Amino acid sequence: MTSPATRAAARSYGGERALTMTTGLLLLLLGVGAALLGYGVFGQDRATRPVLDPEVLRTLVDWQLAARVGAIVLGLLLLVLGLRIVFATLRPEHHPDLALNPTRGHGVLVTATAITEAIATDAEQVPGVSKARATMVGDEDEPALRLSLWLEDGTDVKQVWREVDDTVLRQARESLGVDHLPTAVRLELNTAERQRVR
Amino acid sequence: MRVLVRVLSLLLGLALAAAGALLAVEVAWAWWRPESPSLLVPWRQWRETLADLSWQSTPVLITAVAVAVVGLLLALFASLARRTNVGLREPSPGVTVETSPRSLARIVGTRVRGEDNVTGASVSATAKRVRVRATSALESEAQLRPRLSDAVRSTLADLPLQRQPQVSVVVDSRRDRS
Repeated sequence: MTSPATRAAARSYGGERALTMTTGLLLLLLGVGAALLGYGVFGQDRATRPVLDPEVLRTLVDWQLAARVGAIVLGLLLLVLGLRIVFATLRPEHHPDLALNPTRGHGVLVTATAITEAIATDAEQVPGVSKARATMVGDEDEPALRLSLWLEDGTDVKQVWREVDDTVLRQARESLGVDHLPTAVRLELNTAERQRVR
Repeated sequence: MRVLVRVLSLLLGLALAAAGALLAVEVAWAWWRPESPSLLVPWRQWRETLADLSWQSTPVLITAVAVAVVGLLLALFASLARRTNVGLREPSPGVTVETSPRSLARIVGTRVRGEDNVTGASVSATAKRVRVRATSALESEAQLRPRLSDAVRSTLADLPLQRQPQVSVVVDSRRDRS
């Protein structure tokens, strides 16, 4: 199990990757199999048979009711599976709000944008940070923070690394009144202005 | 690559849904009205074509190879969509820090180009390995390489990296050619 902070680093595309990989391997197997069959690797008589084999057709006609019901059920299953994949891929990432003191009955709900704007503004005060973007990720039970920092060229990365945790994140934790806020920080050196040192 | 895989998975989902819907609709239609022509897909025509083609006919072989190539490409895209970030040490528990390989290469490149007698440098970096290729007009490889290796190593040691990458330095010097 990965930690909430590790998971916060970036949106996971594991499902999409697994789907693409599985489909790719399946197509590869099918294609190679069909080509080998055509080249007569599984016997020359098999290679000369038609693609839509009369024997297969006869079996389908013998089992007509089962074949029809099976085909309709398979079609509906594929439809549901395909739509689920489409919606899962299109679903935007969830940005949870943070509930403070929810046990007392009159807790305060801090919206995700309010938190992230405050943290990003704080982070931009750190010397060497030219731009900061914060996002709340995860779910309501286990919110986490993703903080992307763009650094100016020649910035002391170690200094920023230390200071972000010492000041920005500590301040965020203190002002939100939580002991623990899983955070994934991403440091990026500015590539906007390309250096021409040749 | 990650965006591409997302788009591909969206298209695959749409294709699966469409194929499933067509299959169910056509089979149900043919069951209910066996005499009437097919609804959306001319599958009776396809059936006759496929019954005439043998596995060793050219169109079938070309299709098989094309399907295999598409599959190989999909698998390749999926395996390239891995996250390749460079992990930094955790400044405190529950806080992870990472940077991109490009940023690491930039840090190293700035340092190498700042060294004396280096006219140019290209750096490629991963979490495991940093490769530097420097050009120099004034110093030979034997003179410059140890100095550059030390510079790169000390730059990397100064960063709070989770693991120190291996360093390889190649110097392309005009003095070695003359």
